[in-house]
Amino acid sequence: MLYREVGELKASYAADQAIFPIRQDRWLMLAALAAAYLVVPVAGSEYWLLTIMIPFLVFALAALGLNLLTGYAGQVSLGTGGFMAVGAFATYKLTTALPGLNIVLALLLAGTITALVGVLFGFPSLRIKGFYLAVATLAAQFFLIWMFNKFPWFYNYSASGVISAPPRAVFGRFYVTGAEADPRAKYLFVLTVVILLALAAKGLVRGRVGRAWMAIRDMDVAAEIIGIRPLRTKLLAFALSSFYCGIAGAMWAFIHTSAVEASAFEIDRSFEILFMIIIGGLGSILGSFLGAAFIVLLPIFLDNAPRLAALEIPVNLVTNLQSMIFGALIIFFLIVEPNGLARLWAIGKEKLRLWPFPH
Amino acid sequence: MDLLATAFVTPFANMWDNPQFVLEVVIGGLLSGVMYSLVALGFVLIYKASGVFNFAQGTMVLFAALTFVGAIERGLPIWGAFIIAVAVMVLLAVAIERLMLRPLVNQEQIILFMGTIGLAFFLDGFGQLVWGSDVHPLDIGIPKAPLIIGGVLVNEFDLVAAVVAGSLVVALALLFQHTAVGRALRAVADDHQAAQSVGIPLRSIWIIVWSIAGVVGLVAGIMWGSNLGVQFSLSLVALKALPVLILGGFTSVPGAIVGGLIVGVGEKLAEVFWGPAFGGAIEDWFAYALALVFLLFRPQGLFGERIIERV
Amino acid sequence: MKRVGDRILTADRITLAFGGITALNEISVELRRHEILAMIGPNGAGKTSMLNVINGFYHPQGGTITWKGETRRRMRPYHAAAQGIARTFQNVALFRGMTTLDNIMTGRLLRMRRNFLWQAIHFGPAEKEELAHRARVERIIDFLEIQAIRKTPVGRLPYGLQKRVELGRALAMEPELLLLDEPMAGMNVEEKEDMCRFILDINDEFGTTIALIEHDMGVVMDISDRVIVLDYGRKIADGLPKEVRASPEVIAAYLGEPHGDEVPAAPIPLRRAVAT
Repeated sequence: MLYREVGELKASYAADQAIFPIRQDRWLMLAALAAAYLVVPVAGSEYWLLTIMIPFLVFALAALGLNLLTGYAGQVSLGTGGFMAVGAFATYKLTTALPGLNIVLALLLAGTITALVGVLFGFPSLRIKGFYLAVATLAAQFFLIWMFNKFPWFYNYSASGVISAPPRAVFGRFYVTGAEADPRAKYLFVLTVVILLALAAKGLVRGRVGRAWMAIRDMDVAAEIIGIRPLRTKLLAFALSSFYCGIAGAMWAFIHTSAVEASAFEIDRSFEILFMIIIGGLGSILGSFLGAAFIVLLPIFLDNAPRLAALEIPVNLVTNLQSMIFGALIIFFLIVEPNGLARLWAIGKEKLRLWPFPH
Repeated sequence: MDLLATAFVTPFANMWDNPQFVLEVVIGGLLSGVMYSLVALGFVLIYKASGVFNFAQGTMVLFAALTFVGAIERGLPIWGAFIIAVAVMVLLAVAIERLMLRPLVNQEQIILFMGTIGLAFFLDGFGQLVWGSDVHPLDIGIPKAPLIIGGVLVNEFDLVAAVVAGSLVVALALLFQHTAVGRALRAVADDHQAAQSVGIPLRSIWIIVWSIAGVVGLVAGIMWGSNLGVQFSLSLVALKALPVLILGGFTSVPGAIVGGLIVGVGEKLAEVFWGPAFGGAIEDWFAYALALVFLLFRPQGLFGERIIERV
Repeated sequence: MKRVGDRILTADRITLAFGGITALNEISVELRRHEILAMIGPNGAGKTSMLNVINGFYHPQGGTITWKGETRRRMRPYHAAAQGIARTFQNVALFRGMTTLDNIMTGRLLRMRRNFLWQAIHFGPAEKEELAHRARVERIIDFLEIQAIRKTPVGRLPYGLQKRVELGRALAMEPELLLLDEPMAGMNVEEKEDMCRFILDINDEFGTTIALIEHDMGVVMDISDRVIVLDYGRKIADGLPKEVRASPEVIAAYLGEPHGDEVPAAPIPLRRAVAT
């Protein structure tokens, strides 16, 4: 009888449409936020913050971006890695060209540049759908990575070809990039950015824009008769999705790896993010987070599991096993719950509402 | 101005000056295109008959080739290894049907597509687990001597590959058009439910199709492997087959061939004549850009069926 | 008496061909404000094609459409929507991934102005707009008596209810012209009565002009002001229901030509005598 909405009658449409209409959900979310902001930075080790939390948050952001495009708007994209690269390199060029530029502004500008690139590669979507569109986005992916590798202008003609992210601080004092940065500052910065963008995404999908996207996804022929303009709606999806992915890529390069390299954003990355949203749940904000958590934690689990089970497994074997388990899990999820972890979560909540009654 | 000249004038000028070289590049491209076609063929078969876009086709090629090479390395004669590899691919088809296709039978295409991506990962890891990740050189006696035909330099190997591909296409065409099994395959490709309602056993058909695709993949893998050695990068070839399918049409066997040739030639020409201006490696993305342009003007490919959406 | 007004839509000599088949052969149709027009005819006569032309889905090879004074040959469906034409489809074209409420809310999209930045922030102008539209959609939900299935994903609804939701979505667009393609197909007697009631109410309360394709002659005779009969892409009758019913061409189209001197003495009713 813990989880109930009895007695919670909504007296207004506003209340009915709130993000967390059930009181317990609201508490849960507030608790999670409190934990994220207050507990983790204090209790978490550097390892946790740097190798688990920050990649998780950055991936969640990228997954969010891809989910907007593929999960909500129905436009399959395999170009996520390329767009992340655009964000990373754009931030690099901006911060090196304008040393005084605030990191937040740099991220926003880089995101906007990525959005424009996304719109450019989104034009084919008016005529191409489904797998064909996926292949077209592959063109974007391969072309962008090739471009960043080929033209030295992007890495400022650096002789070694390896470029590191210049240090930047927020509020003048707390460095979030560069060697001096405190892991906790980095973490809190990434956390804030991701939460704000997630809220914005929720706002988008709840309202007019989200509905237009889902209409296009479900039946774009019929969407036109309601007055939806397919090209504009799809391009908006590409733009916003790329905005998110660009910022994710910038944060990956600047805050996580402290290096800006195209090889971090190859086709594998695109597939990785796609898996996150498949496993987490297409068309779900929560799903993006769940999927990212899953993909980030799985290799760590697989790395440590043998040790925990006191087995000695050679490294290359582990990689192959990971691939196999990965692949098998994807198929498993698709069979059991094509709507991903988010749906499993929702089903769990349903069961909890009824508990202890069976139905 | 300079850039325009480099992109639009110089390459053509170079081609004009060296017609023989162009011909050699084209022929080389045609023959590498044949390789792409072989892989694309497997895709088309599966798509035609089960409506599934099999992203794992490339991995299946690799897996088949690995099994073949592994058998040879353990001392089996060529034909023995071939039979073993075929048997393995048939078993694989049965397993795929049982564990993946059957549970997902009523889901949308995109779900099945993602399932095949999962399959690709699985086969990747499994293949390397069993056979290791080194490069396995493969030599089954295909002649590799260079020949001069009509003043043009051609490699014997490429000719053999072309003949093999051609025979496969003819065999498949005969299968589809003139046998009862072929008719059943076409029926299933058209409409699963209708096919079932006339008594065609979907499951058996799927096993047959995936086995055939597996065997086609084996042949492709043997050809590619003899050329490059059997190694991981073979599965990346799958990605290249996608533009081939777009050009040729997802549902067309001749389309896979023609598409492969076009991609092969296009890539080579682009790399040789445009590549130097842009620092090379244009091959990385050229095929996709070509496919993209094609999609804008003819989404169903050269030979594919136009999908008309009715409301 | 009904206040049928002046011409609101004129389709002038529309010709539509697909490959070798002529779906519409120089058909001229007129729609008057506030009227209910029924389009009947055997299968394949071109009725749905006619609606598709009015709606902008098909672009005719010949002829023009004049809507609210503006004459043109072709327009995109979203222009038609923006200009006040809404429609439903034979094979319910709802968005299966969304709930009833969301589906009907999509009908309000044309009237939602706040751009994506406001949407992202949500609180403020975007929310106000959303709630205002929600209120209107709830009125439609009340009107169509579908409150109970508000939050059900439409994919799970039975066919009859889906058709009702689709009607709701069309209504949400506040159209001046409503095109209904077999709105009562597959319904039982009670459902048909409900649907008739809704259509008549819509026409009565909102003054919406309605053009519907229907096969049930009882319905057609009961609710329509005027009937048009199509056969093989041509218009073979256009007039009051009882006139059309007695027309020899119409009878021939439905029942076939009489042989020799077997001319029927009295007009044959187009349906068996069954209580409506």
